Amino acid sequence: MRMSCFTTMRMPRRGWPNDMDRRTVLTGCAAFALALAAALRGVGAAQAALIEMRGSPRGERVWFAPIGLAVAPGATVRFVNRDDGNSHTATTYHPDILDRPLRIPPAAEPWDSGLLLPGEEYSVTLTAPGVYDIYCQPHEMAGMIARIVLGTPQDGGWQGPVTGKGDLPGPALAMFPSVERILDAGAVMPETGGQP
Amino acid sequence: MFRSISSLLISAAVVALPAAAVAQAADTAPPDAPFAKVSELVTLPDFLPGLGTLYVDPATLPAGPFLGYDRDGRLSATIYMIPLEALAGGTAHDDLGVGAQTVTSTDIYYNAGHPGVEVPHAHVVLYHDADAKTRLAE
Repeated sequence: MRMSCFTTMRMPRRGWPNDMDRRTVLTGCAAFALALAAALRGVGAAQAALIEMRGSPRGERVWFAPIGLAVAPGATVRFVNRDDGNSHTATTYHPDILDRPLRIPPAAEPWDSGLLLPGEEYSVTLTAPGVYDIYCQPHEMAGMIARIVLGTPQDGGWQGPVTGKGDLPGPALAMFPSVERILDAGAVMPETGGQP
Repeated sequence: MFRSISSLLISAAVVALPAAAVAQAADTAPPDAPFAKVSELVTLPDFLPGLGTLYVDPATLPAGPFLGYDRDGRLSATIYMIPLEALAGGTAHDDLGVGAQTVTSTDIYYNAGHPGVEVPHAHVVLYHDADAKTRLAE
């Protein structure tokens, strides 16, 4: 990609009327490179990453899609209920919400979307680097959880994943993808492949 | 002897009255109190694909009976929601009411949970006419 950037710069160079235009292009190219770097790490700060809430038609299975997502600090994550027959929440594990164990960076604000009816959505912007574990309140026992990885372990203030079980039910604990897998893939889909 | 049998039948009818009372109150939506619309009790869509518009007497939760109406307000199914862990632990559900005396088919399937009955449970769906399942599908 960087090669194509320089190629694009150089090809029209003979037509540049002055240095100001060249600086403009160079600045634009640098911005493009930065944006590309952010994209390679996940979803950039200016983009809204999407996590869907889904379920099978009769409600036998419910899930977040993706179940693991890597995003850059400052990214907005959008939760949308795509399940026609059920309501879902996106709730952080945090003592301030239903007295649950802390499973988000200590510097982060907890959030709870409340129950979203089909078609409803909720967005949150994340800034504190680290691992955010979330769950759906009515479906935690069915294993409906998700893990968001914000930034990388190299970021200042990074908070890694919580390893203790706390009071989480077994089906929920069994579903968390590893941080390494999320960072490697960018997005991890549940075993259903996102399909009912 | 005949009088004794008649008395026995009358007694049986009285015993069955709770189910009959549900049926009389339930042909068209909304059913009489104490039934209440489920979507007004918890955050769920008005019409649930496969189950219809549900009403329940809150005192009977979680098992129900839930009364399922099609989009025209016609009683189409009676549904029971049976938590599996409690069932395995010995909880029994006896003498549950029915929305109508005619049952043409029954579906039983697993549900992971939803607002109102948040634990894994079984849906037992009694359809009250041959087309009910189709009408409740969407």
